[in-house]
Amino acid sequence: MSSAAAITSPDQQRALEAFYYREARLLDNRQYRQWLELVNEDIRYLLPARVNVQVDNRQSGNEHMISVERELEGADSMGCPVREESYMHLLLRVERAYKINSWSENPPARTRRIVGNVELMARAGDEYSVLSNFHLHYARPGSGSFLYSGQRRDLLLDVGVGYKLRQREVILDYADIALPTLGLLF
Amino acid sequence: MFQISELVNRDASLISRRCWTDQGVYELEKRGIFGRAWLFLGHESQIRQPGDFVQAYMCETPIILSRGQDLQVHANINSCSHRGLPVCRADHGNTRRFICPYHNWSYSVEGELVTIPQESALGTKPDKSALGLKRVPRVESWRGLIFGSFDPGIIPLEEYLGDMRFYLDAFLERFPEGIEFMGAPHRWLLDANWKLPVENQLGDVNHGAFLHSAIIPREAQDLIEQLGYSVVTRPGHGATFRLMPEDAPVDEVAWGMEGMGGMFGSPEVQDYLREVQARAVERVGPLRARMKGLTYGIYPNLSFLWSNASFKVSHPRGPGKVEYWSWAVVPADAPDTVKRVLRTNYSSFFGPGGILEQEDSEVWVQQFKGSNIDFADDRPCFYGLGLGEEAPHPDLPGLVSVTANEFYARHFFARWRDDLQAVEGSV
Repeated sequence: MSSAAAITSPDQQRALEAFYYREARLLDNRQYRQWLELVNEDIRYLLPARVNVQVDNRQSGNEHMISVERELEGADSMGCPVREESYMHLLLRVERAYKINSWSENPPARTRRIVGNVELMARAGDEYSVLSNFHLHYARPGSGSFLYSGQRRDLLLDVGVGYKLRQREVILDYADIALPTLGLLF
Repeated sequence: MFQISELVNRDASLISRRCWTDQGVYELEKRGIFGRAWLFLGHESQIRQPGDFVQAYMCETPIILSRGQDLQVHANINSCSHRGLPVCRADHGNTRRFICPYHNWSYSVEGELVTIPQESALGTKPDKSALGLKRVPRVESWRGLIFGSFDPGIIPLEEYLGDMRFYLDAFLERFPEGIEFMGAPHRWLLDANWKLPVENQLGDVNHGAFLHSAIIPREAQDLIEQLGYSVVTRPGHGATFRLMPEDAPVDEVAWGMEGMGGMFGSPEVQDYLREVQARAVERVGPLRARMKGLTYGIYPNLSFLWSNASFKVSHPRGPGKVEYWSWAVVPADAPDTVKRVLRTNYSSFFGPGGILEQEDSEVWVQQFKGSNIDFADDRPCFYGLGLGEEAPHPDLPGLVSVTANEFYARHFFARWRDDLQAVEGSV
């Protein structure tokens, strides 16, 4: 991954951040159907598995030795990502949320997320590659509270009147998962 | 402390809540079950090359499962003979040596102690041959599935699996090169007892209509129950499956078709699955060719989901915590492009992010809560549905019944009770 962000204007940066703030508000308000309207129907929604990898002695002294990418079993790998979803999966999740027998969310969990470090990394035509970080506080009724920490690597589609989410890869900061579910909309 | 006979009644239709929550019971489980049974360690596809290794657990004991330079499978306890630290810190990899970080004692992939850096400064030389990693005394593999046991005198693995091999082969022998595990297991912690996921995936088909009704339509569940069989084989294993009608269309019988990957994958994926089914009669015989599995359980803590293509192990972490591991499994001979699609048959609905399993995880935690209470010891949980209705079957090994019969759980707990009684009082 390139280490430099793309050049962006203050207006462009504000527009991207406004998109993410709105998205966060919809998700925390449990307005999942409105959130789904921000999603392009060809979406790939990915959550790579993250593993505790062996340090490669031959890479001693190199940045690559401890690179994040080595820890990920993503969509292109022959490992098994935790989630590789299409619009249909997201639709199932959204509709499930409004059914009385979605028991792990009945009563619903409380979430609050802070999205930041928004960086436009590249632009190709009407497609933007954007990084953002999140801390998501999750409190399940009758249970403890949990912190989900991670990065989102998005492809946003500029649809003229705003953006649509075309790809999201969620990099969670855990290999050993002590969280009640990774089935959330991050 | 309780007498084990007070926790599980004679026909195992009444199960005390203490079975899931009591520390003393847990200590007995370690000795009576995890110290004596065959425990699943991994699959041969994970350690193909000399030097390949993966981590595993036998209860709470960390194990390194490796392929030695001698091409044999080795299983050793991941703990240095000097100060006890784990010598392997990665989930998987390939190496020549495992090196303890503290004083750099190093071990071969087979588990032999190779170097003690301090010894060159000393007059006496320790006997390295006696200081290797502790070996798991019995390691055996069947159809690529590797198990270990701490009991040197345990019966052979094949005998232990017994009639369950008939049902496992319906899946494993369906594919010309067997199966392979894809990548590292997904591992997550739940505030529940290890037996709760096991029981669920041993034969609890009937919660589908209720717990999962937000996702599984009633008609789909009805069809599962109409065609469904539940089987228990000695000693405490179980399988549930459907026997599809002989004239059922290939797409309704073929393994893999009913998952998200099979349903919405490319024609390449569907053609592959049809081709496998076309050879099923020749590979596994006419009866098992129309078998469409649901849940499988190998005593004590290995589970397999047929449609959702996953092997799972429930690793205890005390009576009230479980570390659940699950792997996507795919046919070894499938092209990579097909494997990548078929793994979503697992991950769409199961695993830590699965649409269905989030509900299961929730009820295991809730059942543990409901077990960890006072003033209800006179009200054991009722496990009596279908008591005595199971019977032998002309074509299916084991005892057979409808999926609503809870005999799979009764047989599990009867075996569990016997295993604990065998070590009870012998502290």
